[in-house]
Amino acid sequence: MTAEGFSPLLHANMERMKLLMGYSSDFIVRELVIAGNKKTAIFFLDGMVDKTELQNGVISALLDRTPVDSVNLQFLKDQVLDAGEVQVIRTVQAALEQIFSGSLFIMLDGTVDGLGVTMPGWEDRSITESKTQSVVRGPQDSFTETLRTNTTLVRRRVKDTRLRLISLRVGKMTKTDVAVMYMDGMADDKLVRQLIGRLQASKQDRVLEGEYLEEILHVKKQVSLFPTIYNSDRPDSIAAGIMEGKVALFVDGTPFVMLTPALFIDFIQSAEDYYQSPLYSNLIRMLRYVSLAICLLAPSVYIALTTFHQDMLPTQLLLSLAAQREGVPLPAFIEALLMEATFEILREAGIRMPRTIGQAVSIVGTIVIGQAAVEASIVSAAMVIIVAITAIASFVIPSYSMSIPIRIIRFVFMALSASFGIFGLTIGIILLVVHLSHLKSFGIPYLSPAAPFHASNQNDAIFRMPFWRSSKGQTRQDKSS
Amino acid sequence: MNVLTRIGAVIMAMIMLVMLLTGCWNRRELNAISVVLAMGIDWVDKQYQISVQVSDPSQMSINRSVGERSPAIVFTERAPTIFEALRKITTKASRRMYLSHMRIVILDEEVAKRGIRNPLDFLFRDHEVRPDFHMVVARGCSAKEILSFVTPMEVLPAMDLYKSLKVSERAWAPTSAVNVVDMMQKSTKDGIEPVLTGITLVGNRKKGMKMDNIKQPRSLAEYNYTGIGVMLDDRIVGWLNESDSKGYSFITNNVHSTVGHVACPDSKGNFVVEVYNSKVKITPSIRNGKPFVSVELRSEANIGEYHCQADLTEIQVFSQLQQAAREEQKKVLENSIIHVQKRFGADIFGFGEYFHMKYPGQWQAWKKIWPDVFQNELKFEVIVKSELRKTGKITNSVH
Repeated sequence: MTAEGFSPLLHANMERMKLLMGYSSDFIVRELVIAGNKKTAIFFLDGMVDKTELQNGVISALLDRTPVDSVNLQFLKDQVLDAGEVQVIRTVQAALEQIFSGSLFIMLDGTVDGLGVTMPGWEDRSITESKTQSVVRGPQDSFTETLRTNTTLVRRRVKDTRLRLISLRVGKMTKTDVAVMYMDGMADDKLVRQLIGRLQASKQDRVLEGEYLEEILHVKKQVSLFPTIYNSDRPDSIAAGIMEGKVALFVDGTPFVMLTPALFIDFIQSAEDYYQSPLYSNLIRMLRYVSLAICLLAPSVYIALTTFHQDMLPTQLLLSLAAQREGVPLPAFIEALLMEATFEILREAGIRMPRTIGQAVSIVGTIVIGQAAVEASIVSAAMVIIVAITAIASFVIPSYSMSIPIRIIRFVFMALSASFGIFGLTIGIILLVVHLSHLKSFGIPYLSPAAPFHASNQNDAIFRMPFWRSSKGQTRQDKSS
Repeated sequence: MNVLTRIGAVIMAMIMLVMLLTGCWNRRELNAISVVLAMGIDWVDKQYQISVQVSDPSQMSINRSVGERSPAIVFTERAPTIFEALRKITTKASRRMYLSHMRIVILDEEVAKRGIRNPLDFLFRDHEVRPDFHMVVARGCSAKEILSFVTPMEVLPAMDLYKSLKVSERAWAPTSAVNVVDMMQKSTKDGIEPVLTGITLVGNRKKGMKMDNIKQPRSLAEYNYTGIGVMLDDRIVGWLNESDSKGYSFITNNVHSTVGHVACPDSKGNFVVEVYNSKVKITPSIRNGKPFVSVELRSEANIGEYHCQADLTEIQVFSQLQQAAREEQKKVLENSIIHVQKRFGADIFGFGEYFHMKYPGQWQAWKKIWPDVFQNELKFEVIVKSELRKTGKITNSVH
């Protein structure tokens, strides 16, 4: 029905549009008479267009500048309207889409076409500091909810004609603007085509965040806890990714931009690694690997050592641990499970709760967990230390989407080491590595360049080489010349 | 789905493999075990009497109530074999004895004389025992008494005994911290015999076992590592005195640092040399069909104390002192070898090993009769090439 064209009668068109919008109170139809006797209507959604611009560039122009004789759409488009982007619209469907994305729709009496004037003017958040991945030294800006602002933030960083931007609209109800950005000639063409094809083919009703798309983008429906699409709200990280030949996916309405393909190492590298001297960055990276291991293994190793392999501990440490466990009624595994679960509850509460009661949660958390539980001999002091270091270590992982699988697998490992000791833990680790090596992100092995090993790609794999040795500081052309 | 089934299959296979790995592992919570730190083996009434010293975990924590309970508990039980005795202890204790962290095993002299192979068999066979504990022999008292004794420095007597043995071996040569693996190797090899360090209690033994022992600055009773026990096969046959023990430590390259006095060359009194570096080279040879070893000692030492009259700033005096120190060292080493040779005929220095390596053919002939050859036919020479280096912070004594 909506794919049809308009009727030549303006009145009929106005009625039809109002009916389609269900007489919504924010749908405004402004009637004008221009050039003496030409009836005109401007359709827009209140709050989505820039009122000042509407007044100055459109209404004033139409009323004042339209000569009496020749009034037609082409003339209005070319000589009257003070607006950057104007296009002729022929169907009701297109007209509605224009209106929904913050455009004016102008119709003249007696014509079957209309004009769409892009004039968005809704309120949006200004560019603020990144809340999820902050850096000490480096760019402090982050993406906002507006697609155009976001693409601009990247465009400003990559001043190269090869940067391509393809826009689409996904979601039957939300009609969300989605943009695919990549470097022509560096990104895998097949991957770009495939992404666009999948986005076009999607039958999603709504797309409110990138995750709605993430789940339909995978070629094979692989089951994994680990993220195979990177996301960040840092324009510099996304720009760097695009210049490495990755494909970015912007979704209107969310400050998180996705990047594919994403490898395991992408999630444990931070933007700041490139903004500090290589020596320091590499030390920090090592610290990060250690933290990753602690976060994943600390509670399970503790359980395994204290309930199975007491002979592996130094005598003095064993005696001290034994002294601490004296009077603790629960087995070490239950004790650890209890503490880790409590911490996860606290963390979840900390994220969701209103900011104003944050103090209360942290006080209850520290006093109840840290002190009272130990004094009441429900948990041992050593276990509190283990849980605390595990928790702190989990915050060292730069990407939140990587810390989620690590946190989950930690519980699996705890169960394994509680039932089979170090043997169980070892088998758990082997299975984890098997799974990770099996995983692919859009055709690229997840663990590359470590497995399969590419000697030429090691400049920024585990350690970051100085820019004078690595290819990151220079483009391919520089190197070939 | 295919992936999931494959992963499932792998998991199943691995879990099944894990089931096969039942060996020396077992689930036990820390508060269900008693950590045995020391074990004593006595021979009483034709039975082994086993004493184990375990720590009381509640006394190891920071907020312990000092003095109310003993930090260490000793359980004793008798049985014809060690394993039985150990298991019988469970009738007296609420927790299972956990042997992996045993630091020291004390044998009484009776057991050492009867042969240590039998008691050691269990300690090697049992999967839980780690063969890294040290062994000493109780002299003039029972192993049980030593374990029940309250030590002043460390809270746990076993740790006190263990640390003291390690420290004295490094800083005072006439003790030898004998590791059980060492011990076993030496007693099975031909051409070398093991030794064991002795320990004894001095002072009021009865009171030494009460907490009162450490309630005043001067303990009522003390333990004391004394001398090295010479073993032939797995039996102890006698004891070396302090000087001979020191000689033994020198010859077996066990001296990290030691001090010893030497008589002044031209006046009354002594001076002390502190050896900080010592290396012995043993060269076997066969002279007239008889075994001959040349023991060459190279050591570096400082003057640690000086009671002599001669002027230390003069170079001749210094060389005289060096000469005196060399002669003293030579005497210690020679006496040590002679005493061991003549009194016990047990080749604790391992000279036989050297012959075995250099003259494997000849060794075949000596192998069976080596104790006899060592005692009667072996000749030796001691060459001392020691250097005196420094005089400490002052030269001559303060007058």
